[in-house]
Amino acid sequence: MSATAETAATAPARPAGGSRLDRVPPRVLSSAVGIAVLLLWELLARTVYAGSYRLSPPTAVVVEFFEFRGLYLRNLWHSTKTAAWGFLWGNLAAMALAVASTLLPWLRRSIGAVVLTVFCLPFIAIAPILRLITGPGNATPIALSALAVVFTTYVAALLGFDLAPGSALDVVRSYGRGRLTAFRSVRVRASVPALFAGLQIAAPAAFLGAVVGEFTGAHRGLGILTVRALGALQTDRIWVIAVMATIVATGGYLAIGALGRYLCPWSPALDVGAVPVPHAEPGLLNRLAGLLAPIAVVFVFWYAFLWVFGIEPFFAKTPVDVWAELFSVSEAPETRSIIFGALGTTLWTTSLGYVVGLVGALASALVFILVPWLERALMPIAVALRSIPIIVTTPVIILFVGRGLLTTTAIVAVMSFFPTLVNCYTAMTRTPEGILDVLRSYDASSTANVRNAYLPTSVPALLASARIAVPTSLLGATVAEWLATGDGIGAVMVTAFTRNDFKILWVSVAVLTIVAVIGYWLVAAFELRTLERMASGISR
Amino acid sequence: MARRGAPVDVVGVGRTFALAGDEVTALSGFDMHVPAGGFIALIGPSGCGKSTALRLVAGLDTPDEGTIDMDGSSPDEMRRGQRIGVAFQDPSLLPWRTVTTNIRLALELVGRRHDTKAVDELVELVGLQGFEKARPSQLSGGMRQRVAIARSLVTKPDLLLLDEPFGALDALTRQQLNDELQRIWTARGTTTILVTHSIPEAVYVADEVLVMSPRPGSVVARHTIGFERPRTRELLLTDRFHAEVEAVSASLHRSEGQVVQLDTDPS
Ligand SMILES: Nc1ncnc2c1ncn2[C@@H]1O[C@H](COP(=O)(O)OP(=O)(O)OP(=O)(O)O)[C@@H](O)[C@H]1O
Ligand SMILES: [Mg+2]
Repeated sequence: MSATAETAATAPARPAGGSRLDRVPPRVLSSAVGIAVLLLWELLARTVYAGSYRLSPPTAVVVEFFEFRGLYLRNLWHSTKTAAWGFLWGNLAAMALAVASTLLPWLRRSIGAVVLTVFCLPFIAIAPILRLITGPGNATPIALSALAVVFTTYVAALLGFDLAPGSALDVVRSYGRGRLTAFRSVRVRASVPALFAGLQIAAPAAFLGAVVGEFTGAHRGLGILTVRALGALQTDRIWVIAVMATIVATGGYLAIGALGRYLCPWSPALDVGAVPVPHAEPGLLNRLAGLLAPIAVVFVFWYAFLWVFGIEPFFAKTPVDVWAELFSVSEAPETRSIIFGALGTTLWTTSLGYVVGLVGALASALVFILVPWLERALMPIAVALRSIPIIVTTPVIILFVGRGLLTTTAIVAVMSFFPTLVNCYTAMTRTPEGILDVLRSYDASSTANVRNAYLPTSVPALLASARIAVPTSLLGATVAEWLATGDGIGAVMVTAFTRNDFKILWVSVAVLTIVAVIGYWLVAAFELRTLERMASGISR
Repeated sequence: MARRGAPVDVVGVGRTFALAGDEVTALSGFDMHVPAGGFIALIGPSGCGKSTALRLVAGLDTPDEGTIDMDGSSPDEMRRGQRIGVAFQDPSLLPWRTVTTNIRLALELVGRRHDTKAVDELVELVGLQGFEKARPSQLSGGMRQRVAIARSLVTKPDLLLLDEPFGALDALTRQQLNDELQRIWTARGTTTILVTHSIPEAVYVADEVLVMSPRPGSVVARHTIGFERPRTRELLLTDRFHAEVEAVSASLHRSEGQVVQLDTDPS
């Protein structure tokens, strides 16, 4: 939302050589594009894809919805309720953790590690494990929905608390009051805008968590309805569900955004998507401690989880069990070859998908920068699509692309495309006018503008998006593999799940999580180094 | 290669900005004539439209009324011919480039990236030896401005537009750069328009000082500065220099005090 509004405000007073389309209001342009897309979609579905199960025409989707509206609305209501509970609990937990991290700075690293680990969990595979504790009811989807929001809200709240003006904090301190007073009187108020930016992202995420939780065996809800429809190749049904999920998730995103603007109209739009990287402490010993303490905390949590819920040893696997399974028992070599072989496939298809999405996003962002009327027509659509949980629409993509390695690649590509596009485009629009003026004064070509100004200014946003994309892409890939493709570690997990092979399930979850966390930190380290090397005074 | 600079003729130029539903007239009836190879200083109260005027001459913006002509070319044609060098109030350096590569940017843009000698000369001229590899974030504000000045000069432009380029510099460095600017200008014959807030600076370097009225900006006084060149620092101590500074200062104060009587001739 903010991206488009901001571009309008900072656009040069008179763009040189504008097209006539530049004068059409953006709303009209995007509506026109929307209608054109719908018409083309209808046409394709009725001709090229007629009778192929791959694409439903929009009219058929509407008819299907009204015919079975009782069923759809019942399940939609169920999933929405689940997501709402998850949203509540997850955000409460996240805020409590953020408060603890602010008041007890020495805990910050460890809490951060736990929260990041939760973000990196392959949600689809922990549903069966959670179900061991919660039983068959609705608690597992609620728990997953809660876990899905913890990271973004935690990061947003922390960012908000840290944004508190230092001078105001000094005033509190100068009256001899401590950290707690400073927190109550300054930080809480200062955090509201950032917190709302986080909650806004959390709304679709909670919905995503609920639906993914329902994928693996719930009695009601959109997730299980999707899985059944996928098995029966009910294309129209899958489309209805995808459209409903999109509308509800986007609605939540917009509603919370509006609430945030209503409550703090003075605040500028904040983008929590670009979370700053934490700086490493100096000194080898500090750095080692900074690395080991959080790992230890994660393992303590793991044991505590098993102990608190008293899970039977047959189901419960400790870190030691997982290690043994991979490296010391007699079947270990076989397990290793299954897990790491499948992991290789997953990583390869995921990276390919990510790169495709990234290149497409950068190219689109540059086209939008160079052709303003295209930006005005398409950007609002891209911004809206960024907020929807693409994973929920996985079944639609599965039907369209087919079941195979390409599906994973396609889903990851679509997932990475929209956030990268919006974040990079927004960063490019913030290229200082002065720099553009210098380039213009030498009549620089578009290529020179791109190379010298737009691409470099988008690098921080690009790297921040990439960091977040590591866990989310792996989640998307495993969901696709679990639901459809029969390849990769997602397929290994679904097989283990159907055979009640909890050893393999735990090992896969542990390996995937570790890979995601390491990937996140590798990108973060690269990001830190690049930003330092660029010595960029670009503010984010 | 002393190419002769282009003459600049600005006649009756006006520029109005739309600002949040309101209108701001930055310039109105702005006239300026700079002969080929001339050196003009523009001086006036903050917000009177000096930067706006410079952007119009640079072809970065178009006037709502009036004409700007440079020896038969429009500002846009001059810009497209890559004959202009600019250094704005804000140095606008690329944060990811070093001092050297920031200066070289201008050469790259005009297709002469291999002219390393020109870059080295200018680094020395603006006194940044030893900082060649530094990035803008590692430089002081004044050093950044000097990089911007070097960048504006490196392509040997026919028209040089400087918008308060010495704002963040100490008096001594400022004086040094003024001397260098004068030397380059004499050698190259580049037509130069300098916006400054310092009256002594304007009187020291320019052939003619134009005093502008507060917004909407127009020229309310012209002072031809007849001192022989090359001008040296001894000039700064002379009575005729002080008299000239006093005269410009008086017009500036008059222009600020008499916003309503813009049309009366103050000089
Ligand atoms: N792009 C723009 N949009 C709207 N208003 C503008 C724009 N550029 C300049 N103005 C307005 O025009 C007026 C003149 O601005 P300008 O920058 O030319 O002043 P200036 O004489 O350079 O001032 P200073 O000495 O402070 O640099 C100001 O009131 C400013 O607000
Ligand atoms: Mg100015």
